[in-house]
Amino acid sequence: MAMPGQLMFARRLGPTARLLIWLLVGVSCVVADVRYHALEGLRSGFSLLLQPARAAMRAPTDIAAELGGFFVRHRLLQKERDTLLIERAQLMVSVNAAQELARENTELRTLLQLQSRPGQQVVHAALLYQGHDWFAQRITLDQGGNAELRSGLPVVDASGLMGQVSRVYPGSSEVTLVSSPQQLTPVMVERTGQRGLAAGSGQGQMELRYMPAQTDIRAGDRLLTSGIDRVYPAGIPVARVSRVSRSQSSPYLRVESLPLAGLDRSRAVLVLIAEPQVATP
Amino acid sequence: MNVATETGNWRRILGSLTLAVLLEQLPWSGWALALRPDFVLVGVLFWTLHQPARISFGAAFFLGLLADFQDGAVFGQHAIAYVIGVYLVLFLRLRLLQFDPFRQAAQLFPILLTVQLVVLLVGWLAVNPPAGLAMLLPVLSSTALWYLIALFVRLWHGKGMQDRA
Repeated sequence: MAMPGQLMFARRLGPTARLLIWLLVGVSCVVADVRYHALEGLRSGFSLLLQPARAAMRAPTDIAAELGGFFVRHRLLQKERDTLLIERAQLMVSVNAAQELARENTELRTLLQLQSRPGQQVVHAALLYQGHDWFAQRITLDQGGNAELRSGLPVVDASGLMGQVSRVYPGSSEVTLVSSPQQLTPVMVERTGQRGLAAGSGQGQMELRYMPAQTDIRAGDRLLTSGIDRVYPAGIPVARVSRVSRSQSSPYLRVESLPLAGLDRSRAVLVLIAEPQVATP
Repeated sequence: MNVATETGNWRRILGSLTLAVLLEQLPWSGWALALRPDFVLVGVLFWTLHQPARISFGAAFFLGLLADFQDGAVFGQHAIAYVIGVYLVLFLRLRLLQFDPFRQAAQLFPILLTVQLVVLLVGWLAVNPPAGLAMLLPVLSSTALWYLIALFVRLWHGKGMQDRA
């Protein structure tokens, strides 16, 4: 027989019991996060923990890129410089025109006694980390609350709208890309001015929803932000229509489009800070 | 077991898990990201197999929360899946320890698949339908990683690890 005080059985719970306990904890985590958004503090904690690691782990690839750039051939650089010079000359012309227009615009606005639009303030940010895109497409930037980012701000790259800041941590921030499912972007068709709602459909694509069957839209049309949402400034390129198809069962067109921004390529982006104002009529 | 080997083991466990977390912080993108093995999951299951008294449910849950943060997913999605993976490994532990690396990896494949399917299911229920089945690709690469690790351990220690578990 067992001596008093001696354990006959293991003191630990069996694996099944422990599994059930942890499952319970896990399910309550999911509920707390989805329903009550109660775990944002934990997210901030993880971001503080991982941000230096991510910055450090980015170094090897940066160094590789630097070394690769060092050995670029002289000829190639010269060619690139020539194209850049030409591009610069062309841009100077458009800048002059834009300055002229801006001056005229302010004059007309004072004439009409309208408020002038606030200048756009931008924050440069670099891609810090990209997670798996199984359920939502998000990237992490290396700028956060320190650079006065807040959630809801639009993020653009050189060729178009990337997405919207969705979570802000002290030194980093998460951006939900325009191609992410459930992410809606109010757009207008550049050619006709028709307004619509573009939704991400995952896998790097977007679709234009609720376009009546007789809408004038065809493949190749560009979609710009319409600016009626007070989130995105008007006129940022969003996507290019890739396919328009009619279905028998639905009164709407099925319009597929591809985002113009390099969602999976861009490493440097801009966050637009100033609040876009509603254009006064 | 004396204190020296104990701390040595702890150091080895924590070191390998930290390495796994750091590997996931590399700026993976494109195909490399789609095929990236789940280093942390493989690490947790490996230590659950060899040191179940040290690394099991608690560590798996915490590292699962970390994985959730990394993907910007719902908290608990990977945590639940990792915990189930640990349970399956504990359940099959004595059996798994008898196999050579290749067969062990083959036995791990259904476990890793189950874990990924649980991630899929929880995400589906909690957020929205997943975009495609590309999320099952890491299962293959994780299995391959397990094979390499098991092979390495076998070559390094001879039959080792098992008698000390």
